[in-house]
Amino acid sequence: MGYLFDPANWEWIFAGRNFMFLLERFLNNILLALVVMALSLILGLVIALLRISKNKVTSAVTGVWIDVWRNLPVLLVLLYFGLALPQEVKEFWVDIAPGFLPPQIKDSGQVVASIIALTIYNSAVIAEIFRAGIQSLERGQGEAAAALGLPYWKAMRIVILPQGLRRMVPATVGQLITLTKDTSLVSILAIQELVAAGSIVNNTSGSPFGGTGVPAPILQVYIVVGAMFVVFNLALSLLSRRLEVRERKRAGDVETVTGLEDQISIKPV
Amino acid sequence: MRGSKRLWIIALMMVLALVAAACGDDDDGEGNGDTGDDNGGETEPYEAEQGTPMAEWQEEGAVTIGVKFDVPPFGFENPQSGEVEGFDVEMGNYIAEKLGVEPEFIEAISDNRIPFLEDGTADLILSTMTITTDRDTEIDFSRPYYVAQGRILVPEGSDIAGIDDLGEGTRVCTALGSTYEGTLAEQAPDAKLDLVDAYSECFEKIQNGSVDAVSTDDVILTGMVIQDDSLQLVGDPLTTEPYGVGVAEGETEAAEFLSETVEESFEDGTWDELYEEWVGQYTGEDPQHPSEVTLEDAYELFPCDETC
Amino acid sequence: MDRLLPIITNNLDIYVSGLLVTLQLVGISFVVAMLVGTLVASFRITPAKPLNWIGGFYVETFRNVPLLVLSIIFSAGLLRAGVSLGKMSAASAALGLYTAAYIAEAIRSGVSAVSKGQIEASLSLGFTYGQTMRQVILPQAFRTVIPPIGNLIIAMIKNSAIVAGSIIALDDILKVARIVNSATFATNEAFFWAGVGYLLLTIPATIIVRRLEKRFAIKR
Repeated sequence: MGYLFDPANWEWIFAGRNFMFLLERFLNNILLALVVMALSLILGLVIALLRISKNKVTSAVTGVWIDVWRNLPVLLVLLYFGLALPQEVKEFWVDIAPGFLPPQIKDSGQVVASIIALTIYNSAVIAEIFRAGIQSLERGQGEAAAALGLPYWKAMRIVILPQGLRRMVPATVGQLITLTKDTSLVSILAIQELVAAGSIVNNTSGSPFGGTGVPAPILQVYIVVGAMFVVFNLALSLLSRRLEVRERKRAGDVETVTGLEDQISIKPV
Repeated sequence: MRGSKRLWIIALMMVLALVAAACGDDDDGEGNGDTGDDNGGETEPYEAEQGTPMAEWQEEGAVTIGVKFDVPPFGFENPQSGEVEGFDVEMGNYIAEKLGVEPEFIEAISDNRIPFLEDGTADLILSTMTITTDRDTEIDFSRPYYVAQGRILVPEGSDIAGIDDLGEGTRVCTALGSTYEGTLAEQAPDAKLDLVDAYSECFEKIQNGSVDAVSTDDVILTGMVIQDDSLQLVGDPLTTEPYGVGVAEGETEAAEFLSETVEESFEDGTWDELYEEWVGQYTGEDPQHPSEVTLEDAYELFPCDETC
Repeated sequence: MDRLLPIITNNLDIYVSGLLVTLQLVGISFVVAMLVGTLVASFRITPAKPLNWIGGFYVETFRNVPLLVLSIIFSAGLLRAGVSLGKMSAASAALGLYTAAYIAEAIRSGVSAVSKGQIEASLSLGFTYGQTMRQVILPQAFRTVIPPIGNLIIAMIKNSAIVAGSIIALDDILKVARIVNSATFATNEAFFWAGVGYLLLTIPATIIVRRLEKRFAIKR
């Protein structure tokens, strides 16, 4: 216990640029999560629509696609793409990456591998969220829309999707939290994000190679690293609860799609 | 719908603003290396023939070099400067200077050094990479630019005095994708191997007691000893490990160019300077000079095993 | 993919041992997760405010921290603090305590799903709080809780790859695939078989969970 609370073990936070260094690298995690989520929402919607298609074959094949990705470990998908992605794709990313991105993301071919891997994985979960959201409405609303003479796609666009999307916000934010945690895994792909930065701070702090002279023990460093994730994710989940409350005020008690860690379920009213 | 949409847009803009602010900081954490002396005027830019990889690099004005980020004194990131430094990094700077281009350093751990060359993420690999015949089927090497030796590192008070002591129940750490996976399987078949992604993890493990020994190149181990002098190198060298600069398969002109450049560094005294600055001053030893080891010698040390 | 079969036939022994390591890790972690999760859930449910707070703190922390960070803390971090845990123990502690937070939430939802009306009715019939818990609430909560816990087991199978791939360095299915890959460079094949290995665990688990769901379904 003494080791945990000994102030000498925490001094490194204030030494040199250690803390700023960690914060900067954390931005990479956040950025990666946002980019992947944006792409996953688009791809996920497409997959969800395929999944609920009236065509039995499309629906079944998409179902298999979703189930396969949801049953594999994220790390396996990440490592596979990290090691197997062909050259052209990585070069393409380095060419098109916008200038405002930090160099660790802009110039790294590994990043595109991680974006592709995380998007494929994440979009499968998002697709299920969308599907649950849409199907939670479909019967009553779908019939009403049909009774009003709206064709399928118009009904989708005007009636079902807007309402469905609102219900999916909590689950989507929950998935964003999971995704943020998953970005820590890209450290295994040698991408310079927060977990890797923690290792560097721990390694170099006490050493003659670029250290501040103040030792940064691994336990304390990673407690700080963990705390950064917790604070960010907590903020996200508070945001999600706020949105849920607003929704409830607006539309009365509402069925929302929720879940624990990758699981999707409809929260009954 | 509009209310929550606005919230998302605002949140996104705030994040982007944060990012832009952070980038205003001229900290390129990726590290552009320490191009110490800028073209002292003595070296003329190399004239690359059209169609060679060197010409491409000169056109781009930059060459991407994969180095270790966590292996002092060869390649390591300094969080205070945000730059990468080390012997490999300096060799990279020397090569880039000869070409007249900017070196860009990225992290290449043992496991992805070769994939990086295959898929073009890196143009060169200077990542404490040993020349082996197996690897030669996947990539091309320059002549040896450093000769390391496989050693064993143990903590203070350890009973292990050499490879023979790595018997049943001993836990040895080394990196996934390194030559030591095979070497240890051969020379210490009863030992339990801990295979990790990066040597910094092995360093942590031997310090915290979760492994009994670390085995890898002496230079990497020396870097650990410098940081923690309670650790010690024991036993006779297990292997001789000549390092080569890696390029993608088939780029023979590049491999030749690199070999020439390395030989120049032997001749003009740069190699000796770099050695003294990054390794010699810590170990006080005289290693085998790489000029004594040819590429063919290197292949003979690590003949065909799995993939050829 | 022409080396598909040779890769598995030449390396069957290590793939199988990897599978066994994964199974062992998930098994022990599950026990840890259920024990700790139930305890934390009871903290959340009990009327005592300080215990509520402790339970809440636990859940919010362990749900929002990445498992990789926990793995490092429980292995290297604890070792430095003088707590000596072996590899499998550290790994199961990390995975178990992480999953426990989710299990606690699942149990808490399960219990709160049992309608208040039943609790009031039971109490007014003269049952004590303890009896109400044991004979009215828990049996019903148990049924609601099976699907999420089943899904958490599947999540554990997937998350085991993270714990094993961290500095803890266990030779699980994924690590075996990486070892085979670094020796043979047959990335597609090595990872394909790793994927098969995980599906061999998750698919039967999913089927069993669905069966259990049906069996315990509350017929209204």
